[in-house]
Amino acid sequence: MEYLRVEGFRKKFHQTEVLKGVGFTLQKGEILVIIGASGSGKTTLLRCLNFLETPDEGKVYLNGELFSDAAVRYSDRELRKKRLRFGLVFQNFNLFPNYDAKRNVSLACELLARERARAKKRELLAAEKGIARLKAYRRISAEAAAMKREGIAESHARADALLAQVGLQEKRDAFPYELSGGQQQRVAIARALALDPEVLCFDEPTSALDPELTGEVLKVIRGLKGRTMIVVTHEMAFAREVADRVIFMADGVIEEDGTSEEVFGAPKSEKLKAFLKRTEEHGWI
Amino acid sequence: MTSFAEVTLKLLEGFGTTCYIFILTLVLALPLGLIVAFGSMSRFKPLRYVVRTIVWIIRGTPLMLQLIVIFYGPGLLFGVTGFDRVPSVIVAFVINYACYFSEIYRGGIENIPRGQYEAGLVLGMTKVQIFFRITLLQVVKRILAPMSNEVITLVKDTSLARIISVVEIIKSAEAFMRQGLIWPLFYTGVFYLLFIGILTLLFRYAEKKTAYLKV
Repeated sequence: MEYLRVEGFRKKFHQTEVLKGVGFTLQKGEILVIIGASGSGKTTLLRCLNFLETPDEGKVYLNGELFSDAAVRYSDRELRKKRLRFGLVFQNFNLFPNYDAKRNVSLACELLARERARAKKRELLAAEKGIARLKAYRRISAEAAAMKREGIAESHARADALLAQVGLQEKRDAFPYELSGGQQQRVAIARALALDPEVLCFDEPTSALDPELTGEVLKVIRGLKGRTMIVVTHEMAFAREVADRVIFMADGVIEEDGTSEEVFGAPKSEKLKAFLKRTEEHGWI
Repeated sequence: MTSFAEVTLKLLEGFGTTCYIFILTLVLALPLGLIVAFGSMSRFKPLRYVVRTIVWIIRGTPLMLQLIVIFYGPGLLFGVTGFDRVPSVIVAFVINYACYFSEIYRGGIENIPRGQYEAGLVLGMTKVQIFFRITLLQVVKRILAPMSNEVITLVKDTSLARIISVVEIIKSAEAFMRQGLIWPLFYTGVFYLLFIGILTLLFRYAEKKTAYLKV
């Protein structure tokens, strides 16, 4: 069943049209790899999906329901809720330098747990009337505090598990500057997983890394197979290996769309052939 | 003959006012400066221009002039009088220092990589959460050095309060000059030096405490 459908994404920055009507569909659990030259609109597409940019036109359907529509202006609260369903791993990691690895992973969960506890407290208090509310105040506060503690403990446990998953449990107390680029990116992946997004996006996750560090990051991504993921990458060998579907973008449109074998094995368009040839010459394949 | 102890006591009295102006100005101007900084970075253009114009005027005119305007202005313009001297000093100082602080804050905030803000957004954090949980501490670390300069200047600027007859330490020393004693005036330097010495140590301590933050 089709899980994610993107329809007619258009995005203009000043006079330059970066996305000229991009659309695709994705099954649950599939990995979609997007390839293409720099400036072809790959990153903008991911940023639009994660609401870091607002497309000028276009709709997204998730799980059969209309998820977002460029014609609708969402409130900050709605945007927040929607953002939680997508995850994004950045090219430059963007870890929070003031927190250690574990807190980087757990922070968002913790904040959500706090908010949930606060909301619960408000709800319980609103249910009581008059004097009863005063009487119940203590009990409800204690309940909310317990809920908060539990939520925070859960997010810590989750952060530990995720750091173990990316092979960094012994680095949980390290600050980002104490980690190599590859380790930082693995923490960033764990951080993106912490909220269990339905679609996880990667924006050139290895582009900022030294060649000898890309392997460890790719291995972690490989280990996530089974999740619905969209990966923008220049690592052609990796793309070929993990992709269930491949999209080749050029000049803001999808030039070619198919399975890994179709796109890499039997490229149809001249642009794709030229692109693959170029990457081969650069030793990326 | 006026004794050393007598002079010290008198100067300490003035120094109390100096400290009072300093602390109150700092406590009020630090948060106000942050609000001004947000105003000068606002995406709402009219607000941004108004705030930036105010900052320009405040930074572009002498604090002494501002003191006089705040103290005598209401009386001259609207005929309202009866403002106390010390509150006028505090108001003038807070406005002046908030503007200076705002520019330091602005520099600090604008230098934080935007990627961190975006990472926070993608993780479903609110702008307020991102600011207080992620940006603020890094800003604090970045602005410690320029802030220490400004704060030290503030200690010495308090002596301007004497032009509207607030008896701070310099004014106390000037009282002795009228009796023909000049050394109390030089003696005030010791108070300033000690006070600023302590501040310098505090700032050094804060820098050490935030040294783990490599930003």
